[in-house]
Amino acid sequence: MIRAAVIYMLAICGTLAAGIYPAHAGRIVADLSEANVSITSGFHGTELLLFGAVDGRETDDIVVVVSGPPTDVAHRRKAQVGGIWINVETNIWKDAPSLYQVLATRPLAEIANAETLRQLHIGANTLELQLQSEKTQPGAKTPEPGAFLQSFARNMASTGLWPSDTGPVKLTDGALFRADVQLPANVISGIYDVRILQFRDGIVFSESQTNIYINKGGLSAMIYNFAHDYSLFYGLFAVAFAVAAGWPQWYSAAADNANYSH
Amino acid sequence: MYIYLPIAEISMHIGIILGLGGGVGFLSGLFGVGGGFLMTPLLIFFGIPPAVAVATEANQIVASSVSGVLAHMRRGNVDFKMGGILLAGGVLGSSFGVMLFKYLRDMGQIDLVIKLSYVVFLGIIGGLMLLESVRAILRSRRPGAPRRKLHQHNWLHGLPLKMRFRRSKLYISALLPLAIGAFVGLLAAIMGVGGGFIMVPAMIYLLGMPTSVVVGTSLFQIIFVTANVTLLQSIQTQTVDFMLAGLLLFGAVIGAQFGTRASALLRGEQLRGLLALMVLAVCLKLGFDLVVQPSDLFSVELLK
Repeated sequence: MIRAAVIYMLAICGTLAAGIYPAHAGRIVADLSEANVSITSGFHGTELLLFGAVDGRETDDIVVVVSGPPTDVAHRRKAQVGGIWINVETNIWKDAPSLYQVLATRPLAEIANAETLRQLHIGANTLELQLQSEKTQPGAKTPEPGAFLQSFARNMASTGLWPSDTGPVKLTDGALFRADVQLPANVISGIYDVRILQFRDGIVFSESQTNIYINKGGLSAMIYNFAHDYSLFYGLFAVAFAVAAGWPQWYSAAADNANYSH
Repeated sequence: MYIYLPIAEISMHIGIILGLGGGVGFLSGLFGVGGGFLMTPLLIFFGIPPAVAVATEANQIVASSVSGVLAHMRRGNVDFKMGGILLAGGVLGSSFGVMLFKYLRDMGQIDLVIKLSYVVFLGIIGGLMLLESVRAILRSRRPGAPRRKLHQHNWLHGLPLKMRFRRSKLYISALLPLAIGAFVGLLAAIMGVGGGFIMVPAMIYLLGMPTSVVVGTSLFQIIFVTANVTLLQSIQTQTVDFMLAGLLLFGAVIGAQFGTRASALLRGEQLRGLLALMVLAVCLKLGFDLVVQPSDLFSVELLK
C-alpha cells in the first residue's frame, strides 16, 4: 500500500508537466476513520470520516472524489408496447464507477472552471465512459454516450450510489480538513478510490489519494460465496433445510391444510 | 434492526421480513393455501429483485408443503401414483421453466414476465373464486337450488395411455396429469408458487379426482417440484436467498398458528370470498404498475 502511494506520488509528479499543476505543489496527508468496511449481516450502509492536514491557506478549497470499483451497468429504456411499459432498449456502460461521490468545500463551479473540472474528471458529467449496445450485431450503431450520460447519472443517483449533490468538506484555518463519506447499503465489495485535491485560484495545488476496502464479511459473505462457488451444494442444502424446517411444523400447520376442502 | 440479505444484496428491516412471513403465514393458515402467490408479489413490492423473490419463495414453499403433506399422509389422503405422474410432469415443466427464466433474465425481461404472469393468473383465479363464493353464499340462502355436477366425462378422457389410479378411483390417460404437472411446474419456476391454486381446481374439474385426496396429492407433488426449482435456480441463476427464506419461514410458522385459530371464526364461503378480494387487490396493484407510465423511463442494473 505504501509502495502504491509512492508510485502514485511519482505519477502526480509526472502530471505536473501537463500544466494543470503549478510547480510548487503543496502537501496533503489524509486518512480515514476506517479503511476496511465489512458488509456483514447487520450492514445498512455506513459513514466514514475522511480527515487530514494540508499545507494551505484559508482561501484554498478541498475537493474529494470517491469512486467505487468499476463495473458494467445495464441501462434500460422503457416504452409503451400494447398498453404496458416494457424495457425496449438496453445499453451497457463499460467499467462505470459503482459509486461516485464528490465532496467539496464550496460549490464546484466556484472552485474551478468547467474545463478544469472536466480535465480532472470531477463531477459525474465529466466521466468518460464507454457505452455499448447489448446486441453487438455487425453494423449495429454504437450509441452516443453524451446523450445518455445525463439520464444515466440521474438513474444512478436514485440508487444512492451516485449522489447528485456535492457533499460538504470542512477546512479549518487552511490546514485541517474533514468530510463524511457516505456509503449506502447497496455498495458492492472491492477497492474504492478516494482522491483528495487542494485547489488554489482555480487550479490544483496538490493532490493525494487513499483507498477504502469493502468486503463481504461474516455470515452474509459465507452464504454469498457458498451460493456462487458451490451452487449445487447450496441448492441441496437449501432444500434440506426447508424439509427439516417443515417437519416439526406439521402439528401446528397441518390442521388448517387438512381442513382445506373444496 | 436491519439485516443484509446476501443474495438479494439489499438491506432490509428484519421486522418487515418477519412481518411479511407472519402475515402471509397467517393468511395461509386462515385460508389453507400455500401463500406463495401472495408472498412473491409482496417481496417485489418491498424491493426484493423479482428473480430473487421467485427463487427464494420456491425454497420456502418446500418447507410449508412438507409440513402440510405429513398430516395428509397420516390420513391416507395422498394418491402417490397420481402424485408421481404429476410430479414427473412437474419436474419436466419446472426444469424448462428455470431455463426459460435464465434466458429471460439475460434478456432483461424477467421482471416483466413475472409481473405479467401474476396479473393474468391472479386475475383469473381471483375472479373465479369471487364468483364461486358469491354463488355459494347466495345458494346457502336459497336452499333447494340444484347443485352442480362435479365429475363430467369429456374428450379429455378419450386420450391414450390409460392408467388406473385406485386411490382416486379413476381410469384415465396418464398424459393428462403429465401435462397438468408440466404446466404447473412451468408456473412454479416462473412465478415462485407451489401452484396449488391451479393444481387443485385442475385435479377436481379436469381429472375428476375426489376432493378428499386432492389437497394431499397436490402438496405431495409440490414438494418435489419446488425442490427441483430451488436446486436448479441455485445452480443456474444463484438467486435463492437462503437467509431471506429462513426468516420468512420463521415468521410464517408463527403466523400460520394464529391463522388456523382465526379460521374457526369465519365460514368457508366468506373465507374464500375474502381471499378472492385479496388476490384481486394484488393483481390490480401489479397490473396498475405495468400500465401507468413510470416516473422515469430509464433504469439501471449493476452487472457483476
